[in-house]
Amino acid sequence: MMAPALFLLALITLIPFFSIIWMSFNDVSLMGGLTFEFSGLDNWQRLFTDPDIRSSWLISLVYFLATVGLEMIIGTAMALLVFSLVRGGNIVISLLLIPMFIAPVIVGLLGRFMLDPSHGLYAWMLSESGLFDGNILGSVGSALIAVILMDVWEWAPLVALIVLAGLASVPGDILEAAEMDGAKYVQKLLYIILPSISNILLVALLIRAMDAIRFFAIIFITTNGGPADSTKIIPIRLYDIAFRFFDLGYAAAVGITMLVFSILVANAFMKMLKRQEKTA
Amino acid sequence: MTAPKRWLPFTVKTVLLVLLLLWTLVPIVWMVLSSFKPNSVITANTPRIFFTPTLEHYASLFSGGNSLWPYLMNSLSIAGVSTLIAVVLGCMAGFGLSRIRLKGKKHLAFWIISTRMAPIAAVIVPMYLLFRYLYLLDTYAGLIVAYLSFNLPFAIWLMTAFFDDLPPDLEEAAMIDGATKFQAFRYVVLPLMTPGLVTTAILCFIFAWNDYAFAQTFSGPSTQTIPIAAAQLLTQTGIDWGKLLAIGTVVVCPMAIAGLLVKRWMVQGLTLGAVK
Repeated sequence: MMAPALFLLALITLIPFFSIIWMSFNDVSLMGGLTFEFSGLDNWQRLFTDPDIRSSWLISLVYFLATVGLEMIIGTAMALLVFSLVRGGNIVISLLLIPMFIAPVIVGLLGRFMLDPSHGLYAWMLSESGLFDGNILGSVGSALIAVILMDVWEWAPLVALIVLAGLASVPGDILEAAEMDGAKYVQKLLYIILPSISNILLVALLIRAMDAIRFFAIIFITTNGGPADSTKIIPIRLYDIAFRFFDLGYAAAVGITMLVFSILVANAFMKMLKRQEKTA
Repeated sequence: MTAPKRWLPFTVKTVLLVLLLLWTLVPIVWMVLSSFKPNSVITANTPRIFFTPTLEHYASLFSGGNSLWPYLMNSLSIAGVSTLIAVVLGCMAGFGLSRIRLKGKKHLAFWIISTRMAPIAAVIVPMYLLFRYLYLLDTYAGLIVAYLSFNLPFAIWLMTAFFDDLPPDLEEAAMIDGATKFQAFRYVVLPLMTPGLVTTAILCFIFAWNDYAFAQTFSGPSTQTIPIAAAQLLTQTGIDWGKLLAIGTVVVCPMAIAGLLVKRWMVQGLTLGAVK
């Protein structure tokens, strides 16, 4: 029963996998028909000396830490608040979840619409309140913050959904006992609630970590890496190398470094699953 | 479960909750609202809440030279077929994987999960070359294959998790009563799997429907999907915001409704079965 699926999966994943490895050792040209020219370690050597790649990894790191970090904090806050509702929790969480079903292109579209310097609602509110006046997506600094917040807007709800599922397992009697002993909310949060959902928080973190490097459509559609490369995270850089400069061999080498990252996350995910099975 | 409900002072809780709801909903509400505004109101310097609603943007979507119909049809067919293939094959493989005792099962599972997690930008590069070589650019088949590269491992993984929750005693009992293996699967196991199948199908469909990167790279004039239509309007000089917001509303609403319908199983789906 497994054969057809596994055969098809092997076909559509292993062939590209071996192709990308082979491509990374070649100078691949699309001009005048597809040609491969073996170039040894040239692409790899370039990869480790290219200042553009280094700066893109740096921006990716900032983007990655900021999006995943904020999503964890805001998502957990959403879950705690919804869980504490006596009634109406179901409706509130449904409303909070909507962004994660929205296509990243539309999230980018919304971001550009809300931040449009001449008629965007958020841009208007920011300039009226004197907080920021100018082209948000067109200025270094504010553009990166904006694309980070768009990602947070879309994906914090996923963290909320996961954490909410975990909160159901927080031992009610221990909370009750702590309350009788006069524990403050922060104390209960730090010593009872968060420790008992630490596994769930890890799941949320890993799921977000793997998707943070998978998708890049929001930036693609809003700033496409600009202004002055300030939002050029590594997938955007890769896409540029491949489909603007048509340097597919080099793009393959960059792609492999990204793959390594995602395999590390996948590995952590498997380890976590195993740990969960043991405790369950 | 009564005492722990009162965790936070009522006012703090209410204020935070209202803020989070505003943060989440304002852009969506503003998009839907603005899609009914005439262009002069949308681009007015100060935002306006009151206006005379118009359906002109929705009307313009489905008429004239650049109608949305072909894009919509492309999206529906490509996402639909890739979902169907992923769910059918994923269901079979998931049942098998869940029931089999295999030495290298751990490695098999790792392979499946890492194909699902592979960064899209890295997958696109070799796939573009292969598709060019095989004349699959600008074809339905090409995009369906591209979407299967993440939907198939997702479906296999998720269906395995759903089958793991179902004790094998049921189908074993049926087989003791004389059912063949296929009959036990078809008449005992499958009906119990409806939530799992529906959740997997809806999520696969959403992933494919929402994709931009693959479609941007592999599609051509005859296979462009709705996200591409939106992106094209967005890169024009002099953006037609009314039309764009109408497209946004058309793309978002069905997926939000479908997603919320399976909310109960969504956690299990989106955490790849790690959370029940």
